[in-house]
Amino acid sequence: MPEHAGSPFMNRVPFFATTFVVVFMSLLPFAWFLNTSLKTPIEVTAIPPVLVPSGTLHSYRSAITEYNLLHFVRNSLIVAGLTTFFTILISVFAGYALARLRLRYRGPIMGSLLLVSMFPQISIAGPVWRILHALGWLNSYQGLVLPYVTLTLPLGVWILAVFFRELPDELEDAARIDGCSHVQTLFRIMIPLAAPGVFTAAILVFIYAWNEFFFALLIMTQQKFQTLPVGIALFQGQYTLPWGEIAAASTVATVPLVLLVFLFQKRIVRGLSAGAVK
Amino acid sequence: MKNLLRSVREYHMNEQGVRHGLIQGVFMCFFILLLLAPAGCTKKAEEGGTTLHFVTWKPNIPEAWEEIYSIFRAEHPDIELVKEVGPHSSTAFHDLLTQKLKNRSEDVDVFLMDVIWPPEFAAAGWAAPLDDMFAPSERKEFLDGAILANSYNGRIYGVPLFIDSGILYYRTDLLEKYGFSPPRTWREMVEQAVKITSGEAGKGVEIYGFSGQFKQYEGLVCDMMEYILSNGGNIINPETGRSGIAGKHAVEAVRFVRDNIIGKIAPPGVLTYQEPESLDIFIQGKAVFHRNWPYAWEVSNNPKRSTVAGKVGIARLPHFPGGRSYSTLGGWQAGISSYSKNKEAAWTFVKFLTSERIQKLLALKAGRAPTRKKLYGDAEILRAYPHFSGMKDVFLTAYPRPRTPLYPAVSNVLQRYFSKAISDPSSDIEKEAVAASREIDRLLALTK
Amino acid sequence: MLSQNSAARHAEMKLSSLSRERIFALALIAPCFLFVVVFAFYPILYSFYLSLHRIILGIPSLGQPFTGLENYRDLLHDRIALHSLANTLLFVFISTFLEILFGLIIALVINRHFRGRGMVRAAILVPWAIPTVVSSQMWRFIFNDQYGLLNYILYGSDTSRYSAWLADPVYAFSAIVAADVWKTSSFAALLILAGLQVIPDELYEAARMDGAGAWQRFRRITLPLVKPAILVALLFRTMDAFRVFDLVFVMTQGGPADSTNVLQFYGYKKMFTEGLMGYGSTISVVVFLMALAVTLLYIRVMGKGMLKAENA
Repeated sequence: MPEHAGSPFMNRVPFFATTFVVVFMSLLPFAWFLNTSLKTPIEVTAIPPVLVPSGTLHSYRSAITEYNLLHFVRNSLIVAGLTTFFTILISVFAGYALARLRLRYRGPIMGSLLLVSMFPQISIAGPVWRILHALGWLNSYQGLVLPYVTLTLPLGVWILAVFFRELPDELEDAARIDGCSHVQTLFRIMIPLAAPGVFTAAILVFIYAWNEFFFALLIMTQQKFQTLPVGIALFQGQYTLPWGEIAAASTVATVPLVLLVFLFQKRIVRGLSAGAVK
Repeated sequence: MKNLLRSVREYHMNEQGVRHGLIQGVFMCFFILLLLAPAGCTKKAEEGGTTLHFVTWKPNIPEAWEEIYSIFRAEHPDIELVKEVGPHSSTAFHDLLTQKLKNRSEDVDVFLMDVIWPPEFAAAGWAAPLDDMFAPSERKEFLDGAILANSYNGRIYGVPLFIDSGILYYRTDLLEKYGFSPPRTWREMVEQAVKITSGEAGKGVEIYGFSGQFKQYEGLVCDMMEYILSNGGNIINPETGRSGIAGKHAVEAVRFVRDNIIGKIAPPGVLTYQEPESLDIFIQGKAVFHRNWPYAWEVSNNPKRSTVAGKVGIARLPHFPGGRSYSTLGGWQAGISSYSKNKEAAWTFVKFLTSERIQKLLALKAGRAPTRKKLYGDAEILRAYPHFSGMKDVFLTAYPRPRTPLYPAVSNVLQRYFSKAISDPSSDIEKEAVAASREIDRLLALTK
Repeated sequence: MLSQNSAARHAEMKLSSLSRERIFALALIAPCFLFVVVFAFYPILYSFYLSLHRIILGIPSLGQPFTGLENYRDLLHDRIALHSLANTLLFVFISTFLEILFGLIIALVINRHFRGRGMVRAAILVPWAIPTVVSSQMWRFIFNDQYGLLNYILYGSDTSRYSAWLADPVYAFSAIVAADVWKTSSFAALLILAGLQVIPDELYEAARMDGAGAWQRFRRITLPLVKPAILVALLFRTMDAFRVFDLVFVMTQGGPADSTNVLQFYGYKKMFTEGLMGYGSTISVVVFLMALAVTLLYIRVMGKGMLKAENA
């Protein structure tokens, strides 16, 4: 493919140098933690640091047996999975309505969704906690999924709205002529076509829910229900600071996401920039 | 038009192809599985007997605790003991426990309390008063400071399980080499540290003088209190009930720490250290003196973890001229939830946990200092931990932190003040102390 | 959305079809609306209600008296709150500036087509995908004063020169900024990239034929046309920086000397650690109003174009 004429970095050397530096800096901290997770306990806190690890899986074993790592992973999977499912479900409907139907107050609705995604979490943390407390849903999966769905709806709706808008205008007309009702149009034509958008939105919502910390910290106080970020933040105790296990847990928390990113980077880029261009 | 629709559909299908369909299928199955997962996690129905929920933290020596649980189960087959293990750190454990209690949750009957929590738990109505079950004659068996820490407004809310108090650790080999005996005053300690570190540096050995906990967290209050109290100052004036940190002696002590310890005999990094990091320095042989809780004795003498095993001595913390040595009271107590439906069974367990026998077990197997006075004369314990006999006085006189239901808020103010004062060499300590004092007084006024 | 032909064709049925469509649309948007109202708008209002009371969770015997605007008056005199506000604003300015700068550079780099571009893009996205808690622990480990990688890189095995980065108020703050910039520059890059990709090649060709150099092309063509994308990136990054919490919680807990105490962290401590729910809610409301003000300001600056969808 021809080189993009617009790039000011015409020379090869500065360009590749910059690329190399950027890639290196992006991956270095993660690589260092991965490296650390393969060290023995003494190597982990060696002064000065050891560059080449022994390649032992001690930290992983310890994280699993002593620190309940798999437990946290399971909780994260459940919470992130449920969140993605419900958010996408609601977003498909809402995105379609906003993008393709004549809806009053479309502007204010989009605006308020944007606003919700901008809220500092502290603004709603206290009352959300009290609501969940009253419902008895603190330390339950639904207690965390509900705020998560609320927080990821703007993202999901936005991506799907953009996606729906890209579909040809004549689709509704064609469906109408064929005698489809609104509902039939939606289910038989629009939703199947929405598949790529759904997929992109699902990835982004999943990543958000997997990484969220603030609400997870507040709502899940029993280790039984805590998600991975909370677990990793609280691994440290009064008498121990298990860097090896923290590194192992972090690697486990990150590897699925890194895989997602490498497999679907095109979609992710498209999804994230969808908001920008429109 | 149908053609248009079909072609659009085909366009999308072809673009992704089979792979796309497959991945989508996988995702759908995945989500469906996840939806089914919680269905399998139903709570097991309880059948007969009493179920007792014990909320505790992850122990350093799990084997000792497993033994304790099995002894209890064997002796009390009618009580099903269910333990819930919370996070390690005291702050995180506090948040977990208080969420449950605010919830009036039924899954907590007995819980462990850090020494600073009883007033808070008592005022909030979370901890049940134990006056009826914990007779005054029984209370006399325990260390006074510990009992005091569990009392609030004339009633008692917890039974002390084990005690912690600040101790000075030092390198016996280095002190001997330079002809020193353990320092009595802080200035003496600084002078010894300077002589030893420069002497060692001359021989090409890098070593710091002191390591302690000075990060902006609860431990900072513990460490700083020891300096302030040993100079005749106080955090809360016991007579007026108001803040005492703006007092002359308190400010002097803080200034001493800033000017002689942080970045001087102690590495500047101590401002980021909690217990683990500061102990790390000592057991790697990089510090002459070290301030920590009793648990560090076992760790620093363990050849598998410490490079200075066998070369460690302990002593009372130094003091300032005119003052006396003070160590901050730490440790954990057993409390009973006000909302527990099984208070008798709970008391049985609490009584069991804090009995002479189990405290001795904890002492021997986990190195925990007991709270029963009698155990400090116990031959077996003294043989395993000869320093306990010397430490008895320290433990007997360990001093609690301010006992107020708003301690977390007060502690936050203190943490900020101390951190600001000691981390900036040019800080205006008096001004900061006065401002912090005002905030503390405001908080204390709220509780009246 | 309906073309002119279709509108004319359906002129007779317009009314009923329009209202049917409207009802259908409302039904579709209802679940979304419900969530947002219950878990976002209602809590905001409730926060405001709570902020007008004195609520101390540790002392329920004192009740929850109505105190009007007393909490707000206290907040104005609370030097810690003001200090945390200053910290937050400083953090927002510095980190956002750096993120946009680096984002722009990265976007320019990956805008070119070259073999392995996909891999490079994926590598750059890794920091964004990592949970903030994990990246906080990573950086905390790197900045460690005894066995941290940074010290090793700078000073090798000469351990006597190792610095305690997180012990110094200024360095600790910079460390938080560095960790945040590392994590989110790629996100900014993506948003800017989207803007870059719509610039037509013909413009550059024409400029080159006119003899414009690379820097001039950048300044005259790229920069003005990518401005909307930069503004969007700026908006998202500003709001995210305003909410910084995970980094502070894991790396410094607000210290040393409160130098990294930020608004959301301070609010969290007041509300959930100290149990001062009334006062904590006051902080929540103020933070919300600030976020609202900034968002509205941005939206006005960027023009209404972003929000208004095409008219039906």
